[in-house]
Amino acid sequence: MSQALSSEKPFQISISSFDLTLLRQKLELVRLAHEVDNAGWDYGVPLSEIKRLTAYWKDTFLPKWHEHEAKLNEDLGPQFTRDIEVDGGFGKINVHYVHRKSAVVDAVPLLFVHGWPGSVLEVKKILPLLVEESPDYPSFHVVAISLPGYGFSEAPQRKGFEAVQLAEVCNKLMLSLGYTEYVTQGGDVGSLVTRKIAQIYGPKHSKAWHTNSPIGEPPHPIKRPLLLLSHLLFSYSPSEKAGLERTMQFQKQGSGYFAQQSTQPQTLGYSLDDSPVGLLAWIYEKLVNWSDGYSWTDDEVLTWISVYWFSKSGPAASTRIYYELAQAYPEGIFSGVQTPIPVGHSYFPQDIFVVPRRWIRAANPTLVFESDHESGGHFAAHERPEELVSDLRKMFGKGGPCYGVVPGKTGYVVDVIKFGGRD
Amino acid sequence: MSNTEAPFRISIPDDELESLKQKLALTRFPDELEDAGRDYGAPLADIQRLTNHWKDTYLSKWREHEAKLNEDFPQFTRDIEVDGFGTLNIHYVHKKSTVVDAVPLLFVHGWPGSFLEARKILPLLVEDSPEHPSFHVVVVSLPGYGFSEAPKKKGFGVPQYAEIGHKLMLALGYNEYVTQGGDWGSLITRKIAQVYGPKHSKAWHTNTPIGEAPHPTRRPWLLLSYLLFTLSPKEKAGLERTKWFQEKGIGYFKEQSTQPQTLGYSLADSPVGLLGWIYEKLVNWTDEYPWTDDEVLTWISIYWFSRAGPAASVRIYYEVSNQSPEGFARNIETPIPVGHSYFPKELAVLPRSWIKASNPTLVFESEHEGGGHFAAHERPEGLVSDLRKMFGKGGPAFGVVPGKTGYV
Repeated sequence: MSQALSSEKPFQISISSFDLTLLRQKLELVRLAHEVDNAGWDYGVPLSEIKRLTAYWKDTFLPKWHEHEAKLNEDLGPQFTRDIEVDGGFGKINVHYVHRKSAVVDAVPLLFVHGWPGSVLEVKKILPLLVEESPDYPSFHVVAISLPGYGFSEAPQRKGFEAVQLAEVCNKLMLSLGYTEYVTQGGDVGSLVTRKIAQIYGPKHSKAWHTNSPIGEPPHPIKRPLLLLSHLLFSYSPSEKAGLERTMQFQKQGSGYFAQQSTQPQTLGYSLDDSPVGLLAWIYEKLVNWSDGYSWTDDEVLTWISVYWFSKSGPAASTRIYYELAQAYPEGIFSGVQTPIPVGHSYFPQDIFVVPRRWIRAANPTLVFESDHESGGHFAAHERPEELVSDLRKMFGKGGPCYGVVPGKTGYVVDVIKFGGRD
Repeated sequence: MSNTEAPFRISIPDDELESLKQKLALTRFPDELEDAGRDYGAPLADIQRLTNHWKDTYLSKWREHEAKLNEDFPQFTRDIEVDGFGTLNIHYVHKKSTVVDAVPLLFVHGWPGSFLEARKILPLLVEDSPEHPSFHVVVVSLPGYGFSEAPKKKGFGVPQYAEIGHKLMLALGYNEYVTQGGDWGSLITRKIAQVYGPKHSKAWHTNTPIGEAPHPTRRPWLLLSYLLFTLSPKEKAGLERTKWFQEKGIGYFKEQSTQPQTLGYSLADSPVGLLGWIYEKLVNWTDEYPWTDDEVLTWISIYWFSRAGPAASVRIYYEVSNQSPEGFARNIETPIPVGHSYFPKELAVLPRSWIKASNPTLVFESEHEGGGHFAAHERPEGLVSDLRKMFGKGGPAFGVVPGKTGYV
């Protein structure tokens, strides 16, 4: 692809002083909600947590923003933006992404796709591990995209921008970077997107995909998962039963955000764009409830929230994908899961949707790799970076089921001596 | 019983008005998709217009709005002891008719309603006429709403709200009374009927009548799609409306019944967030009611300036959902006469046969051609006319409160 035609520009996060001042002013005017006695986490995020985080945000984190920003730019470097044209009248969307190449020339091109309430920040810990060179495991060239409506990507302006369009943007990004053939890793919405990439662009472009949010359909129509689940509880292993309980618990207690975002995201959006403490609570609840006892530091949480608060399109835009998916897939997002390319799964017990292995296997006939973990939750790349990378190395490395799946890009240094002694 | 009643006037402190003004000036709006209409939620153009009006006009005239509220509503507070929950200071409106033997009536609001919903029906209810009965009206601000304290302990559910309503009536000297309620007010007045009727509560009326679906309430839709063939056009339209609400309008319910505190931080901190959250319902739940900006902002202001803050108001969903795992359509029967008003744009518009089957003491029904969820506000004459027919001479609940027939 001609460099002259590319709209790629280097990018650094650089929040304006206007935006920083506005946030500070809002934090100074915060009005906190009261709480019932001994609420704990039952009613939502405890007041004591929000009080502490809000005060810290205002008094410590925000005044040091430039340090945090510099660290982000360092951890996520190098970053870029470029225009991607999307079919169907959506026009050009300026997309933000991380593109870090390995020193290993023939590293495996890998696209990492985040979900909600995630962001490109989730790639931070696995980035150095994935590009690392070693004779013992494969290396990757990593592209981590900010999905349209998230991070520093523009948001779509028209209705109907769903998984198909997100997949199109991702595929076009990889092609524009010269990666005609690539593999993907995704969780949450990123799992849906990478699955769609596999279905539409595999095996021609997408050669294999890996997810830490594996799903499978329950035997009954998806509108009745819970009745069914309670029946089937007898015939599963203790850990599968625990997983089902966790899943049911999530459906019952933890899916209010899902119902709201799938039906009236704009209504919610007024709060998320206007109130930093409202946004903080909305997301922090998930960071805690969906992870496995992960010890979030206040800096970590606030950096995570800041990517939403300072996002190019605002936090409200990030929630619209739920609405679009509900419209596009009225039968639910758990049907039509099959893909024509190899898939690998990592299973983390404290994820929010943990269903019996046989459902998952039945729904994924091209499943070639499975890895069980003793702990870990929804945000695998952030909570268990070594484990996730270890899984990818096993899946794509020598002796693994997807070794060499991208022709000529095995992830290892080629031994020149074996090719006839020429330098 | 010690009388802690004190007269009350709404008088928002200057610093609260100033804080609201500052917040409004710092509003950050989201973007919106092209041609979104109302599909994705409250439209941006409406919210921007309302926010600007609030900031530039309404707020600077707040003392006028406040004075008008105090004029329309004679208000009081008093302490009420709730078993297991201690004493709560309760705010209420108490307007007596000049007709000495008027029927004592307790009006109970819901969410996102408030005592404000009684504004238009109040003068009509107390009005003296030989043609129709008069009422002494008590409008309670439920704990956590308006200027009532919120409960501090977990588990304050429908029985406790009913206890508040009942004890308030007793405290005011109304040993026997009738009730009118919609939304949560319907569940609460139903509980009052079940627990305190027929000894104290003599009859009740609701504009949000319900009945159990023949199938378990967790699966209404399979059944409904079958029944769609056998119902009248009106009933089919009603079920379509009900289906719309269950599929598109239920997000707030799911969030408020599971993580109310998480949501609460937004509602307490962001005036535009609170405005959006409530305004969507004011529009979607009514029958093309022509809300004026001032009307909307007064409604929202009651929430913004509420004694316990807006977050407290949504906890009822959590408490009641946890106490009613089988749903809200069970145990509907009451031992006293009940009257129904049916409005076509209500949120649950069920076949009449289901409602009748669940309400064996149903003595009065009135069907309306228009109107939605906030009946007292949208159709005050219609609602009051129904109450007059139900409780008036020749009506099925005439004289139900001995000695207080409502006439001179």
